[in-house]
Amino acid sequence: MSRAARIRALGLIAFVVLWEAVAQLGLVSPILLAPPSEVVAALMTDGGVFLEGLALTVAEIGLAVALAWSLGIGFGLLAGSSGRSAEIIGPLLASLFAVPVIILYPLFIAWVGMGPGSKVLFGVISGFFPIALNTLSGLRQVDPDYATMSRAMGANGVQVFLKVYLLMALPAIISGLRIGTALVVIGVVVTEMLASLGGVGFLISYHRTLFDTGHVYLGITLALLVVLAVNWGLSRLERRFGGWRELQQAAG
Amino acid sequence: MRTRAAIGHLAFLALLLGAWDAALRFGWADPTLLPHFATVLETLWRLLLDPDFRVHLGVTALEVLLAFVIAAPLAVSTGCILGEKLHFGRVVNPVLHFVLAIPQSIFLPIFILLFGIGISAKVIFGVTHAYFVIAVTTVAAVRSVPLPLVTAARAFGATPRQVYTRVYLPAMLPLVVTGLRIGMIFNIIGVLLAEMYGARFGVGHKILGWGESFDLPKLLAGILLVSVLTIVLNELMRAWELRAGRWRPATWQV
Amino acid sequence: MSAGFIEVKGVSKTFTGHLAPVEALDRVSFSVAEGQFVSLVGPSGCGKSTLLQILAGLMESSHGEAHIAGECVSGPMPEKVGMVFQEALLLPWKTAAVNIGFPLELRGVPKPARRERAHALLSLVGMCDVADRYPHELSVGMRQRIAIARGLVHDPSVVLMDEPFAVLDEQTRVRMGQELLAIWQETRKTILFITHSLSEAIYLSDTVLVMGPRPGRILDVLETGLPRPRTPEMIGSEVFGRLRNRIWQLIGEAQP
Repeated sequence: MSRAARIRALGLIAFVVLWEAVAQLGLVSPILLAPPSEVVAALMTDGGVFLEGLALTVAEIGLAVALAWSLGIGFGLLAGSSGRSAEIIGPLLASLFAVPVIILYPLFIAWVGMGPGSKVLFGVISGFFPIALNTLSGLRQVDPDYATMSRAMGANGVQVFLKVYLLMALPAIISGLRIGTALVVIGVVVTEMLASLGGVGFLISYHRTLFDTGHVYLGITLALLVVLAVNWGLSRLERRFGGWRELQQAAG
Repeated sequence: MRTRAAIGHLAFLALLLGAWDAALRFGWADPTLLPHFATVLETLWRLLLDPDFRVHLGVTALEVLLAFVIAAPLAVSTGCILGEKLHFGRVVNPVLHFVLAIPQSIFLPIFILLFGIGISAKVIFGVTHAYFVIAVTTVAAVRSVPLPLVTAARAFGATPRQVYTRVYLPAMLPLVVTGLRIGMIFNIIGVLLAEMYGARFGVGHKILGWGESFDLPKLLAGILLVSVLTIVLNELMRAWELRAGRWRPATWQV
Repeated sequence: MSAGFIEVKGVSKTFTGHLAPVEALDRVSFSVAEGQFVSLVGPSGCGKSTLLQILAGLMESSHGEAHIAGECVSGPMPEKVGMVFQEALLLPWKTAAVNIGFPLELRGVPKPARRERAHALLSLVGMCDVADRYPHELSVGMRQRIAIARGLVHDPSVVLMDEPFAVLDEQTRVRMGQELLAIWQETRKTILFITHSLSEAIYLSDTVLVMGPRPGRILDVLETGLPRPRTPEMIGSEVFGRLRNRIWQLIGEAQP
């Protein structure tokens, strides 16, 4: 294990120990802070329920991410394919991005009910805008000289698009995917907390009303684990596909 | 460029309203779930005249304003200090980025437990949302000032104070304003979310209530109002951003 | 008695870094008389810019001292010294005219007076029609002209120029050189012009200070002896070639 990883692991252990101590010593009200031991206890008693909720949340996130990625990238590529369309659609996307998506959620509940459908719909909309915007801008920022050079070497339109534009826009697209995916995950969990029939967020809210703080923190921990896992996955994706951006910047 | 942007916005509106109208006309949508746009407008008008609703609107506006007024100066000063003190900043900056990455919204239930469902909870929630974004952007703004410019100013006899007011501040301004704009967006999101989660007053609270009681005309009116207000606010701040950054090369931005 | 208008005595500079200390300048001494146009030429990394920074009061020497117009240099002397940098370093948020007035602005000169001076200098450098443009709208050559105007606006007696034409193409360089000479003839400032181009140094000045590679030392002081006004044909002349070779030789011998 590398030194940095060891330090981080030690830090994590220290953090958990501190957490337990602070809670046990009653420094903070037990309603606000439950010690890790209580969280583990909650896991023991209601682990099944929580894992079921986790599965539902993960399923909602998975579907929403898949849709947001495809719709966002697809739309971004279309809109960014020409300067004219980019100048028409780009500002529109940027303006709409300013609207707090959360206010649409009650509308989705009214239309689709409180089940997973509304969460997925919300997640997709949350993630769509940053992905589309970043894809669009990534495409627009590609130096057209590269395309000219490729055509000079005999590439046709499709090849130029795929091998040049798409590849060079990849770092920006991936950056958009990171932001968008994070928003999808947060969006799903938060809407579950707000009004829902199941999922991790629902369990967090439900146990809050019962003042079952141990369960609340179990839910929060699970939610954070999902966030961390998604983040880690995206980092690996970025490293694999977007890592040459530094080279590009150095050369340019 | 600006005309194309206008075309985009108008086309979108036309498409939206057209689809809306068509959906009702051809019976694709149930009028209870999707009232006519005219009905929504009329409902909005009545809401704006209703003193009861105006109280809710006022409460939300107050929370947003308070949160921003508290967060912005704090965050900008933090950013300036961190940006300048290179060593200190190098340690603390990653911490800021880390906190930014944690979805604070997940801790909303704890917030409510801590601060209740009054105005202070919303304000604090908005502050935490806005603070980190603005601080991080300000650090980047300080770091973006090219040092050779500072050297040149000193060569012409600028005092440290003059270096600060005549080189740093103008150079930093566009990026700081961008941070303020995005911070405001986060702020509004935070306040509305908190209002929807647990509150007795506020636009977010009302919207959730209308959704739960299937009062579609009021719900859509509320959504329309919030959308228009936030878009207008965003565009105003963006105009400020563009003015402050007139001298910078144009780039695509959120 | 009267030393040179720019007087450098035994200036040394050592940079103490993380690794071994770097000796940038080694007992540099020379003097420049008032109204002279002197070039300082040397290979890259020989410490020319360091020397200029010390002269401008932006850096302290480790040993030795410099005097400008009789006063010891201990910090920037904006009333006596104007500077032109390799990159124009104009403030991007101000127009060309406002940029030119910047040294006056720092000194609290009121706006109308600043504007008048700025316009006077805009005519001097032939840039009247871009007065209200921003730096990013100007070409590199134009920006450098504005930078030169800024270096002159407060009527300093000494102008320090740090490779101001280095980023320009050949033709623009030659043209700007001519213009600079014309300005110098008219204003009779004392100019210390740093360059790594041997031709440029010989062409522009009467005296060339030749500096060797790190640690920077003055290898020799050459008088060009070329008549004024200079014409481009002189560049191909025998005298010119001999001077060039001499400098080349000096620098070559000094290489470790």
